[in-house]
Amino acid sequence: MTAMLKPILLVEDNPKDLELTLIALERSQLANDVIVVEDGAEALDYLHRRGKYADLPAGKPAVVLLDLKLPKVDGLEVLKEIRDSAELRSLPVVMLTSSREEQDLVRSYELGVNAYVVKPVEFREFVKAIADLGIFWAVLNEPPPGHTKVLRRV
Amino acid sequence: MTSSSSSNGIDVTSCDREPIHIPGGIQPHGFLINVNPEDFSVRQASENATALFGRDISAILGHRLDELIGTQHADLVARALLNASALAQLIYVGAIEVGQVGYFDVIAHRRNHATLIEFEPVQRSGAADFRLLYTLMGRFLKTLSHVDSVDAICEYAVRTIKEITGMGRVFLYSFDQNDDARVLAETLDPGYPSYNGQRFPASDIPQQARRLYLANHVRLIADANYQPARLVPDMDPDTGQPTDLSFSGLRAVSPVHIQYMKNMGTIASMSVSLVIRGRLWGMVSCHDKAPQFVPFEVRTACEQLGQILALRIESIIEGNEYAYRLELRSKLVSILAALSQGEEFVHNMSTVSHDLLMLMRSSGAALVFEGKTILFGDTPSQEQVAQLVDWLAIGGGGELYHTSTLPSEFPAAADYADRASGILAMSISRNYRHYVIWFRPEVVQTVEWAGNPAHKEAQREEALPLTPRKSFDTWRETVRRTSEPWHKNELEVAMEFRSAILSIVLARAEEMAGLADELGRANKELESFSYSVSHDLRAPLRHIVGFTDLLIEFEGANLNDRANRYLRNIADSARFAGKLVDDLLSFSQMGRSALHAAATDMNQVVQAAIKRAQQDTQGRSIEWNVGTLPVIRCDATFIELAVYNLVANAVKYSRDRPVAVISIQAEQTPDEFIFHVADNGVGFSMDYAHKLFAVFQRLHRMEEFEGTGIGLANVRRIVERHGGRAWAQGVPNEGAVFSFSIPKRLPV
Repeated sequence: MTAMLKPILLVEDNPKDLELTLIALERSQLANDVIVVEDGAEALDYLHRRGKYADLPAGKPAVVLLDLKLPKVDGLEVLKEIRDSAELRSLPVVMLTSSREEQDLVRSYELGVNAYVVKPVEFREFVKAIADLGIFWAVLNEPPPGHTKVLRRV
Repeated sequence: MTSSSSSNGIDVTSCDREPIHIPGGIQPHGFLINVNPEDFSVRQASENATALFGRDISAILGHRLDELIGTQHADLVARALLNASALAQLIYVGAIEVGQVGYFDVIAHRRNHATLIEFEPVQRSGAADFRLLYTLMGRFLKTLSHVDSVDAICEYAVRTIKEITGMGRVFLYSFDQNDDARVLAETLDPGYPSYNGQRFPASDIPQQARRLYLANHVRLIADANYQPARLVPDMDPDTGQPTDLSFSGLRAVSPVHIQYMKNMGTIASMSVSLVIRGRLWGMVSCHDKAPQFVPFEVRTACEQLGQILALRIESIIEGNEYAYRLELRSKLVSILAALSQGEEFVHNMSTVSHDLLMLMRSSGAALVFEGKTILFGDTPSQEQVAQLVDWLAIGGGGELYHTSTLPSEFPAAADYADRASGILAMSISRNYRHYVIWFRPEVVQTVEWAGNPAHKEAQREEALPLTPRKSFDTWRETVRRTSEPWHKNELEVAMEFRSAILSIVLARAEEMAGLADELGRANKELESFSYSVSHDLRAPLRHIVGFTDLLIEFEGANLNDRANRYLRNIADSARFAGKLVDDLLSFSQMGRSALHAAATDMNQVVQAAIKRAQQDTQGRSIEWNVGTLPVIRCDATFIELAVYNLVANAVKYSRDRPVAVISIQAEQTPDEFIFHVADNGVGFSMDYAHKLFAVFQRLHRMEEFEGTGIGLANVRRIVERHGGRAWAQGVPNEGAVFSFSIPKRLPV
C-alpha cells in the first residue's frame, strides 16, 4: 500500500536544521516521502502545483512541517494562505520553530495551526518530538473526508 | 427683592431721558446773557436780567455788552475771553459794579457757538480773594500727606468743606460697582439726620446727571424754592437750538431733583465731584435747610480740594492695589514653584492647598482634573461640584468665571450658599473640563439704605408724573446669598495663574507623551531583541548539541576517551548556553507580562513547590517545617515560580547535610505579608548579600552547585512586580533565610 502514502512537506531554509530534521524523520521510521522546499514561496508553489511544480500530479501532502522564520514568505504567511485557500484549508500544518515567543504562538493558533513545536536544544528530545509529530499527523490522525489516510509501512 | 440688585431694578429711564443740560432757564440768584462772540451783542438773556440792567428785555436783546455794563467792564470781559483758548473753561473776569444795583462776580465761558456771561451778586466790593485757596490747599495737602486711609482723609475733607461752605451737613459718598452710593464720611450740624454708613441707590443719580458731574465738578443749587428765570428767547437765535448750560453755574435744576431735595429737607445743596481715572468715583454733597449762596472763590476752592482729594484717594487705592497685587504675585510665585516641582500635578496642588485658598481669600477650593475632583477646605460636596462644573461647561464661562451671587445665577447653589455664594472658576484646559474653583462663603450683610430704593418704583406706578422718593428714613435690608466680591487684582492674578498652569500642565502632558513614546520605543526594541535572541541564538546552540551528539553516536567508538570527553564538554556547554538563553527570556517575559492578581492559598503554593523540588531529592533526608500560611492576593503563577525557586534553592544548598532542615513560615504586619524560607545549608557571607538577587550572579562555583544564576533575580522581579521586597540573611556553613514581602494592597 506504499502508493497510498502521501509525502510530508518540510519547509526549512537552514541547512543544519534541515539535516537534523531529516535525521530525526529518518529515525522516526516513517515511510512517507519527505519533500523539502527552502522557502515559503516555494512551499506555496508546491502546494498550488505551479511554477516548477506545475507538472506535479494532483494530491496533497499528509502534513506540512513549517519553519516559522523563512526567507521571502515566512511561515505565518504560508499558514495564512493555506487556511485562506478552499482547496488547502484542511491540510494539517505543524509549526516548527526555535521561538518560545508568545506572540508567535498566539498568532499561529489564530491562523489555525494544528500543532506548534518549539525545537528542543537537546537532540534526543528533538528526534522524539519529530517522530511523535510524524506518527500523529501522518499515521494516527483521521483526515477529513476526501483525504486518504496514510498507511504506515509494515 | 433682597439683593443689592434691587436698586438696579428700578426703571428710571424717564429720569435718564430728561435733558437736564438744556433746561431753558437759570436759578434766579444770578443773571445770564448769551452774546455774539464777535461784537458781544446780546442774543439771549435770562428774563430777570431786566432787573440787573434796569432795562426792558427789548432794550437788552440785540444790544452790545458795553451799552449794558459800560465800555471799561465790557473790555474786561472781552480781554478775559480772548485768553480763553479752551472751550467750556470758566473764566473769572472779576467783580464789577453794575449800575446802582451792586457788585457782581462775572464768570464767562464759551460753549459750542454760545458765549455765556454770568453775573452772581456778591457782598464784597472787590474781586474774589483767592488767597483763601492757597492757605486752604496748603493745610489740606499737608494733612493729607500724613493720612493713609481713605476713610480718614474723607473724614478730614468733609470737615474742611463744611468749614469753608458753612453748609449744615456735608457728607462724602463713593459709588460701588453697581453705582449704588455708600456714605463714607459725614459731618453735620444739630438737627440734621445722619446718612453716615447708608446707601443711596444708583437711580438717585440718573445717567445724564452723572455725565454732567463728570464734566462740571461743582454744582450749586442755592435755593430749592426758586422760580427759574427763563431764557428769552427760549432758543438761541443763532442756532435755533436750546442753549447748552452744562457748564453754567446758574443752570436751572430739574423739577424732579428739586422735589428730591425737598423730600430730603434740603433747600440748598452743593456737590463736588470726585473723579478718579475718568470715572465718577464719588461725590461730596453739602446740604442746608436754608437757602445758601456759595460764592465763586469758595466753589473753586471746593473744586480744587475735590481734585486733590481725588488724587490722594487714587494714590492710596493704587498703593493698596499695588501692595495687594504684590502680595498676590508672591503667593502665586510660591504656588507655581511648588506646582512645577514634580510631575504629579494633583499631588503638588494638594501640597499647596493652603496657599491656594489664601491666594484668593477663599474658604474652599476644588481641583477638577482628569476625571477627579479634589476638594480643599470648606466646599460643596463632590457631587455638587460636579453639577456646578457641568453648568459651567454648558454656560461656556470661558477662561475665567466669577460671581459673588452664585445662587441667583445657578439656583442649585442655594443649597450650599453658606459655603459657596461666590465662586471664581478658572478653566485650566482648552479641551477638557478641568477647573480650579475657589469658593467664598455667604456673607450676610445688613445694608442701610437712605429710604427703601424700591419705593420709588412703587410711587411711579401709582402716580404720574414722576416723583422722586419721599422717604429718606433709614431702611434696613438684609443681603443674603452673596459673598465678598472678587477683586480686579484677584481676577488678574487668576488669569496669570491660569496661563502658568496651562503651560505646566501642557509641559507635563508633552513630557508624559514623550516618556510614553520613549518607553514604547524601548519596549519595542527589547521585544525585537528578545525575539531575535530566542530565534537566532537558540538555533546554533541546538545545532552544536545535535551534531556533537550525532558525532559521538556515529564516531564515538572510533575516538579515544579524551576526544569523547571533549565532545561531551562541547555538547554540555551548548546545552547550558541554551538554558541560559531560555532563563533569560523567561526573566524578560516576566517583566513584561501583566499581573493577574487573585486570592491565592499560599499553603497550596508551598506544597506544590515542595512536591516539585522533591523530584530530585531521592535518597536525601529532609525535614520540612511548614507553618500555617495565609491566603494572599497575588499573581499565582508568578508567586508559584518564586516560591519554587526559593524552595529549590533551599533543597540544593542543603544537600551536603545529613539531615536537611527546611522551614517555611509566614508573618504579617498591618500592610504586608512576609514569607521566610530557611535552610541549614551552606549559607553565604553577608558580604555578598547585595549580589544575591542580581541576574547571573553566583556565589558558588559551578562544580559545587549548578545553575544559571537567574533564579533569585526572578524571585526579586516577581516580588517587586507585586510592590514587595526580597532579602536574605546567611551565615557561611550554617544556613540561609530568604524572605519576601507582598503588600496587602497591591499597586495598581
